[in-house]
Amino acid sequence: MIEELERAEVDHLARRLLDRAAGRGVHLIWRAQSCGSWSALVRGGRIERVAASRFSGHALWIAEGSGRTAFASRDDFEPEAAERLLDRLIENVLPEARLRGSPLPPTTLAPEQARLVPDTAARFAGLDLEAVRLRLLELERICTAGAPKVRLRLAFGAELDSWRIQRSDGSDVRFSIPRCSLRLVATAGRDGGKHSVGAAVASPDPGLLWQDQALDLFFRRARHAVALAQALPDAPHHPAGVFPTVIDYALAKGLAHEAFGHAAEADGLRSSVLAREGRFRVGDRVGAEHVSIVDEPLEGDHAWQPFSPNGVRRRRTVIVERGRLRQALADAWSAAAAGVENTGAERAESYRCPPLPRMSNIRIEVATPLPAPGDFEDYDAEALRERLAAEGILRRHPRLAFLSGYSGGQVNTTRGDFVFQCKAIYELSQRGVRLFKPAIFAGSMFGALEAIREAFGPLCLDAIGTCGKWGQRVPSSGGSHYFLVLDPHPSFRLGGN
Amino acid sequence: MDLERLEGTLARARPAGAAVAAWSLCVAEQTRFALGVRDGMVGGAYAPPEIAETASARYLLVWDDGRVSRGVFERGQLAQGLERSVAEARTASYDDPDAAQVLGPSEFPRVELEDPATAALARGEHLHRAGEWLEKAQELQRAQGFRLWSGALRATHERTRIRTSRGLDVTAQGTHYAWSASFDGEWGDGYQARALEPLPLLWERLERLARTAAQLKRPGEVPEGGRLPVLLHPHVVEELVLGTLLANLDGAAVAHGEAAFAREQFAKRARVLREDITLELDPLQPLRAGSYRFTAEGLPATRVRFIEGGRLCTPILDLKYARRLGLAPTPLPAEFDTLRLEVGETVPLEEARGQAAVVVLAVLGVHTLDPASGDFSLSAPQCLAPPGAEGAGRVRGTLAGNVFDLLRARELRAVAFPGETTPGLLVPCRFEPLP
Repeated sequence: MIEELERAEVDHLARRLLDRAAGRGVHLIWRAQSCGSWSALVRGGRIERVAASRFSGHALWIAEGSGRTAFASRDDFEPEAAERLLDRLIENVLPEARLRGSPLPPTTLAPEQARLVPDTAARFAGLDLEAVRLRLLELERICTAGAPKVRLRLAFGAELDSWRIQRSDGSDVRFSIPRCSLRLVATAGRDGGKHSVGAAVASPDPGLLWQDQALDLFFRRARHAVALAQALPDAPHHPAGVFPTVIDYALAKGLAHEAFGHAAEADGLRSSVLAREGRFRVGDRVGAEHVSIVDEPLEGDHAWQPFSPNGVRRRRTVIVERGRLRQALADAWSAAAAGVENTGAERAESYRCPPLPRMSNIRIEVATPLPAPGDFEDYDAEALRERLAAEGILRRHPRLAFLSGYSGGQVNTTRGDFVFQCKAIYELSQRGVRLFKPAIFAGSMFGALEAIREAFGPLCLDAIGTCGKWGQRVPSSGGSHYFLVLDPHPSFRLGGN
Repeated sequence: MDLERLEGTLARARPAGAAVAAWSLCVAEQTRFALGVRDGMVGGAYAPPEIAETASARYLLVWDDGRVSRGVFERGQLAQGLERSVAEARTASYDDPDAAQVLGPSEFPRVELEDPATAALARGEHLHRAGEWLEKAQELQRAQGFRLWSGALRATHERTRIRTSRGLDVTAQGTHYAWSASFDGEWGDGYQARALEPLPLLWERLERLARTAAQLKRPGEVPEGGRLPVLLHPHVVEELVLGTLLANLDGAAVAHGEAAFAREQFAKRARVLREDITLELDPLQPLRAGSYRFTAEGLPATRVRFIEGGRLCTPILDLKYARRLGLAPTPLPAEFDTLRLEVGETVPLEEARGQAAVVVLAVLGVHTLDPASGDFSLSAPQCLAPPGAEGAGRVRGTLAGNVFDLLRARELRAVAFPGETTPGLLVPCRFEPLP
């Protein structure tokens, strides 16, 4: 895949475009992408879809010296068509007086030369969809054993996403991102009372379906999803209100991502609750002193991205350090205006989209977490209840709402309102455990971060998802310690009846 | 895209000894212009004026051993070799007898889909329309004292052609135009169709949006929580109510037992909603965003009722799931503006406002719900109360209930909103105010 972008014809095309842009007095960022994807879906014991596809193309992002910009894309590398596009941008679009709004001069970028292609990228060439298809059917049979009334959807997806970026300043950056996932959705219940519960594992290796360790983890999660889907139709609704709450690491990822991550993206700081007059509120206290929020690309992670689509190396970003704002997720065009450093945080769904500052792997870290021996999957609601009791949490809060699993969320960064949905709620009390249907957890981000009191266990950062900011979908991931305990706080509450 | 060369390659190709026995190609060539405004910045780095050109061919290949391949040939992929692309399609082939259907010639309706002014805008010409939209929004921002506004405008011109090995050859040429806007990060509105709307209607819609956003800037009277009559704005009805219905009418979900509605219920025309509720798709309406002449499989567009008198009529069925369920295929909904939700007699907006405790303009978290259960538990940070008063202001809350229960409620009323094709719904629902 990266090879497609390193062909002599593509080199030549980029050179022609950069020269042409220089001749017309505009700065050009040329970005090309080649992406291969392979997928298979089993539904109800039969293969429903197998697909292999490739797309490639390139985008021209031009800027005048004043900072005014225009953007074009095309899905092939045909030189004459690309030059015509560049000319239309310069001659038709850039001069249109009424479209010339307030420019935003970029921070100066240091020229970069880099090539980063992980070893796992080479393994995609050997991906055998026939073998994937058969293996998926086999895995589905294992998952359905003992649960005949549960409908399963099992999907494998593999993607090798390669980029090349060249800029007028001589930069040339190439990289590939391998990512694969195995996902299950279990549906159970009667007509009018069905529930679906999902489970997933991810790996950069297309051999995921044959990796014992990954599959062990997947089966543990799948068994839990199947059991939950069977139990939820008969579970009651949890009462709405303010409760002491326990959230698992997947929900903590949701809280970090929805509540703080998006509000710390520097392209939105002119209206974000984490900014004042467009400047990031560095140093302001936004949460408890033992709580930090960090975003960073982790190699091998589902949301790993080593460079931005502008060819800038992505850096670790400490958004909240011990309860105080420290760094924003910024790129070249937002950093100066926001009063923060450029962390190379921009990402794009594809070459067709303008890059936006956004998260990769985001986590909530708590200083001095309490122990939780073993794996996260060792803790069902009862085991968690025992752990909480052992640490005296149930004495402080005789009843807690344990929100298990993350089903997505949303935020309004202007006001700091967030919402996310769990997969199930368990009431944990001195008397035992009681299951309830899922409900939303909604409220104000500051209250939620302030309310975090204890953490249990080591960091677990493999909660995967998809972020849809401004209609652009990119993989996201993150987590926290196995469990976080939140004291009740009037600014956030559980939905429900 | 050179369709003749692609067809020739399909006829000659023998990847791993297999030949293509039947095929269907849906080629779409598109030109697009887009412009965005982020927090008052017009055409900045995150929403620059943009032109894009794409071409792709959605394919179904039925091989001589009965296997099928389905996918998309992208222009860039085909440029690297047609034979290679077809061979890659073969590697992703699988047994799926229900999907192995290639349509022959048929009668296709004439549907008005193209607007020359939108086509010019899509080519990056006649950009004055984008300028007029910007100027009006900026004027409203100043007049109402909003600090910032955000929005996007997009125009697309597309030519689609379907050819099959059984002799189907049909084309359609259409445009698509859409804009959206919000003030101070508050409630947003927009418009989409296959043609530019007349300027007075554009001004009217933007002014209505600015008025509502201004109301949200001031505090409202917080109602007591509980089961209250709430007025769901058409946007909320589309996202929550129609979204849930469509997910459960989806043929694949029905066939696999993953939907709230079971296949036997369609056979029996089971009553699942209140007896005066009808849901109809009409993709033949001129210049609607969701109108079309044919589906990507080559099925002619026609009117269809999914729910009539509260009873299930048919799932939404492509060729594959129609065969699997033994039913006729249906046209597929593309946008909400061609779906008609009928709920008894429609109540005028002013009357509904008088009866509601709160107007819910937007909800957060619909995409996190499980549509099979119909249960919803959502954040509603943009509500207006008291709804009937000039002095209405913002309240925030959580909204909980079950979509199917809402659509069976005796008190349910449809409410006409100006400029909207979908009605609002006045219905009792659990609403708990948030501080």
